[in-house]
Amino acid sequence: MTALDERAGAPEGTDAPDPHGERPGRDFGPVRWVPRLLVLVPLAYWILFHIPNTESYVAVATDAAIYSIVGLSLNIIIGYTGQLSLGHQGFVGVGAFTAAYALTVQGVPFAVTFVLAGVLAALFALVIGLVALRITGLYLALITLVFGLALETSLFEVPEFTNQGGGQPAVRPDWLFDDGRYYLFCLAFLAAAVYLDYRLLKSKVGRALLAIKENERVAEAFGVNVTLYKLIAFTLSGTLAGVAGALLAFRIGIVTGSGFGFFLALTFVLMTVVGGLGSRIGVIAGSSLFAVLDYILTQTPVKVAEEFIFRTDALKQFAPQFIGAFLLLLTLTQFPGGIAQQNKAILDWLHGKRFNPHDLLHPGKESGPGTVEGSSVRA
Amino acid sequence: MTDPVLALSFTGDIAAPAVQGAISGAVYGLLGLGLVLLYKSNKVFNFAQGEFGTCAAFGTLFAISGKGFLPEMPLAVAVLFGLLVGVAVALLTERLVVRPLFSAPKVTLVVASAGVALLLIAVQGFLQGAEPGNFPALKGGDVINAANIRLTWQGLIIVFVLAVLAVSSALFFSRTKTGTAIIAVSQEPTATSLVGISVARTSMLTWGLAGLLGGIAGILLSGSLGLIAPGSLTGLALIPAFTAAVFGGMTSLPGAFLGGVVIGVVEALASANIPTDVLPGAGRVTLFATLLLVLLVRPQGLLGKTA
Repeated sequence: MTALDERAGAPEGTDAPDPHGERPGRDFGPVRWVPRLLVLVPLAYWILFHIPNTESYVAVATDAAIYSIVGLSLNIIIGYTGQLSLGHQGFVGVGAFTAAYALTVQGVPFAVTFVLAGVLAALFALVIGLVALRITGLYLALITLVFGLALETSLFEVPEFTNQGGGQPAVRPDWLFDDGRYYLFCLAFLAAAVYLDYRLLKSKVGRALLAIKENERVAEAFGVNVTLYKLIAFTLSGTLAGVAGALLAFRIGIVTGSGFGFFLALTFVLMTVVGGLGSRIGVIAGSSLFAVLDYILTQTPVKVAEEFIFRTDALKQFAPQFIGAFLLLLTLTQFPGGIAQQNKAILDWLHGKRFNPHDLLHPGKESGPGTVEGSSVRA
Repeated sequence: MTDPVLALSFTGDIAAPAVQGAISGAVYGLLGLGLVLLYKSNKVFNFAQGEFGTCAAFGTLFAISGKGFLPEMPLAVAVLFGLLVGVAVALLTERLVVRPLFSAPKVTLVVASAGVALLLIAVQGFLQGAEPGNFPALKGGDVINAANIRLTWQGLIIVFVLAVLAVSSALFFSRTKTGTAIIAVSQEPTATSLVGISVARTSMLTWGLAGLLGGIAGILLSGSLGLIAPGSLTGLALIPAFTAAVFGGMTSLPGAFLGGVVIGVVEALASANIPTDVLPGAGRVTLFATLLLVLLVRPQGLLGKTA
């Protein structure tokens, strides 16, 4: 019996000794929505109406939306199938180059470039998925890593795609030229991705994936077609990454191979893990954090920090990486559930329970990250 | 770009890239030794292995120049100091990251090791900045300098050190009690602690050794490049080192040596003979193809055993 079951099963208001030292949550009825609305309504206003009109950070916010899509895509592979992909920047890059090349060189309509980007990245992901059927675990991580590197140094350097090395332009159509509007456009894609992910988990495919993640052999014994579902997961993840790549291409306006290096792949893994594998909100929060980290540390008026901490260029330049890596290690060793876990602690506190950031929904270290609120992954 | 890891210039097509490749391959093998050591003992891929090396190299560099907070040391003492830094970093990693994750899934530990690598690169960046520093060779000059083949003393030292280390570490695992204890811990931690072997101490020992191996690789590679920048070992040699280790069989120490040399030669030949307008980044692509082929056809590697 997990801590969650105990809490849920305890009658209201009893002072039964709880092995975890938890007060049972009180039921406030509809009132319990008040603290949430107090946070959510201003947040929604800020995201939907304030950011599009800001000159300064609408571009960074667009990045956050795009990174969130990548995070969701990576979450399908790491969080749902339990495989590690260190070459995800490859899929994003394929999407970006496809979109830019199709629009600028081939003259394909704007909307169609997204389809092409998704399909092509999905094909690449399918190939990696086929490899993943034979090679699992750490070796697959290595394969994806080298795959990403090979793409970066080879395919992304083909003169035809890179406009003879100068970078392939990807100019948005007039109706999307406004940065604020493009930001909302990307948000719409993010919403679609969230919905897709939600439907995926609720569907037969999602249940099958979670079963495979828990125990491949048991799942197979229950008649789950492991091969098929792993391929579906990789293809879906590739599609999302490809579309995100297209969005990224049009956000930057020019696509170069050097923009899709190994460090981007690491950033993607970092943001997904820090956000909290298996949790949609967590992944989006983590991805947004890593997308804006650079901006927060170097651009915004954090003048105090600039004067006292980031006094040299070296400090300024490496600070985001340091903080990102530090957050990752902190997450892995202290809060395996990531931001989602901390978020849950705050929500619980708002609901009248004791504030306990170390309370994992699913106790037991063996379960590791990936067993977080929001998914039905159970240890 | 990793291709010419040793900054030598060649015009030949087969012999010259082969020599060059064998030397850069020796560096891959040196780094691969540390990877194999940790895989043998912890069943984990350590993405921070390259950074143990870069930290050691920076330790050496700062010890030579003083950097304002260290006494200026002669090269030999500085190298020792650098190796000490490498070991210290590895031990800290073991204490702060590996041990808390002892019972976590291995994938978590792999991600954590990548995080350690990033953190170390950032720390190096804080101290050094993004600009590379000049790094002295252990012994300058050439052994051979013929028309199109050139072998530096540094290159010879690398190959020699690698061969000695590969053999001695293989003997360490097969002949000594400590080596056997490390293997025992990796196979059955609970039973091993029951017979009186400290799992924690064994883990410290292996990571310390990995730090030492990484440090040697870092100092030698930086010496032959003449340069050191934050994260340079990860960028230049970590992936080929992984490929080398997998090629030799992730559990075989002489395999890492052999794999390193083979991978180095193959990569050098590919990038020397395939023009960039046919296939850009031929070296990397060959690496990918080799890794894929080995894993699909002979996953246990050249000299590996299926445990």
